[in-house]
Amino acid sequence: MGEMEKIFSIPEGHSTSMVIMSGAGGRRLLSCSGTARPAMDAEDFDSVVLEKDSVLNLVYIVMPGAGADIRLTADLNGEGAGLTVSGIYLCDGEDRLPVMMDVRHNVPHCNSRQLFKGLVSGKSKADFYGKITVAPDAQKTEAYQENHTIILSDDARVGTKPQLEIYADDVKCSHGATVGRLNEEEQFYMRSRGIPEDEAKVLQMLSFLAPVLDFIDDSHLREDITARVDSAARDLVRLTSMSRW
Amino acid sequence: MSDILLEIKGLKAGIEGKEILKGIDLTIRKGEIHAIMGPNGAGKSTLSAVLAGRENYTVTGGSVTFLGQDLLKMSPEERSWAGVFLSFQYPVEIPGVSITNFMKTAVNARRKAKGQEELKAGEFLKLMKEKMAFVQMKPEFSKREVNVGFSGGEKKRNEIFQMAMLDPVLSILDETDSGLDVDALRIVAGGVSSLHTPEKAVIVITHYQRLLDYIVPDVVHVLKDGRIVKTAGRELVAQIEADGYDSIG
Repeated sequence: MGEMEKIFSIPEGHSTSMVIMSGAGGRRLLSCSGTARPAMDAEDFDSVVLEKDSVLNLVYIVMPGAGADIRLTADLNGEGAGLTVSGIYLCDGEDRLPVMMDVRHNVPHCNSRQLFKGLVSGKSKADFYGKITVAPDAQKTEAYQENHTIILSDDARVGTKPQLEIYADDVKCSHGATVGRLNEEEQFYMRSRGIPEDEAKVLQMLSFLAPVLDFIDDSHLREDITARVDSAARDLVRLTSMSRW
Repeated sequence: MSDILLEIKGLKAGIEGKEILKGIDLTIRKGEIHAIMGPNGAGKSTLSAVLAGRENYTVTGGSVTFLGQDLLKMSPEERSWAGVFLSFQYPVEIPGVSITNFMKTAVNARRKAKGQEELKAGEFLKLMKEKMAFVQMKPEFSKREVNVGFSGGEKKRNEIFQMAMLDPVLSILDETDSGLDVDALRIVAGGVSSLHTPEKAVIVITHYQRLLDYIVPDVVHVLKDGRIVKTAGRELVAQIEADGYDSIG
């Protein structure tokens, strides 16, 4: 029962898509499709290893009250491997959410993409720590990382720390982070067309989160999760407007 | 029954402590088209912003009554439901929200506010198609994100499309001619004119004459330094064009 069992290794040429959801009831694997499956309870792994020409598409959804963290170390160990890790986090109340991503390009010709988007409300706090390391001989690496958060209340906090450590010279890498509020000009425009303020905010929130939902391959699952995220976003808006009084 | 739609009395308003409107009186009746003209900085856009309910403007005096209701007490969405429409001088881009989703939400929110059932998907799409054709917007625009990457003319046509969809009683067109080439101007003005009925009214806010060649006003007001300094018939437009705003007031 050592650390080894928490590693999910994707063999040469295999590909896997997974959606993991954390909520008040804990963390669970909503879907896993493709040719490779983790041996352990899938939701437990905190490390992945990608062999030659393997592909992993991993989507995390964190709902309010989850009290969870997202931690992942990814080793791209075989040429031609491709990794996409994305996530939505919705935080409220006293939620504390650390997101720790450690993506290591150990060999040439791999690509990785990270996209994390979140809404923080109440007195919650989200901390994103994302690191990309490109080893000296990992030429032709493409590695991108983005983290964007919208703050919905005065007491919510966000920390974001993107890091790039690049030891190869022929690579394409970037990272970007933004923290902001919902745009009030957009809200006024929508309200002037008869869309109520709360509804306008929900539209803004869902359009902000949509790029992550697009990573969910299975259209039925995508619709189901979109509906759940929609409902959670509505709760966040409702609670935020109530706390103003 | 009164034929007065909008009655503005002694309206004073400003932004960040600066008074811009210094006492506006204006009465608009059913069937009328009013032009409000004036030099830059006269307060034209402030007036439209206050009527639409933009929250960063402060009303410091006077009253605005729309169909017997106190307009100033209503939220922007309530004003829309009551039948007020503002065509924005600078339409706002809403990334990630398609025109279809935007309009469906708007149309159904209003129906809900009025105690009506939501439109069925088929009925809604039919209505969209009809109103888009009306301002010569291509059907593929329905999938585009609201105003994102639109040209000036496309943005203004999108405003008039929304006006056609929402079927307002009072339309306020804020500098709708800015950024339009002659063809787009004709489409936009033609759209506005054909939506006009004896039950409705239009306020055209503009710096220039050219839009008023197409949307012919019944009454023309000149706004200068926060006050209406002259009100006359459409002949005033030609006088302004010939002699400028300095000749008036």
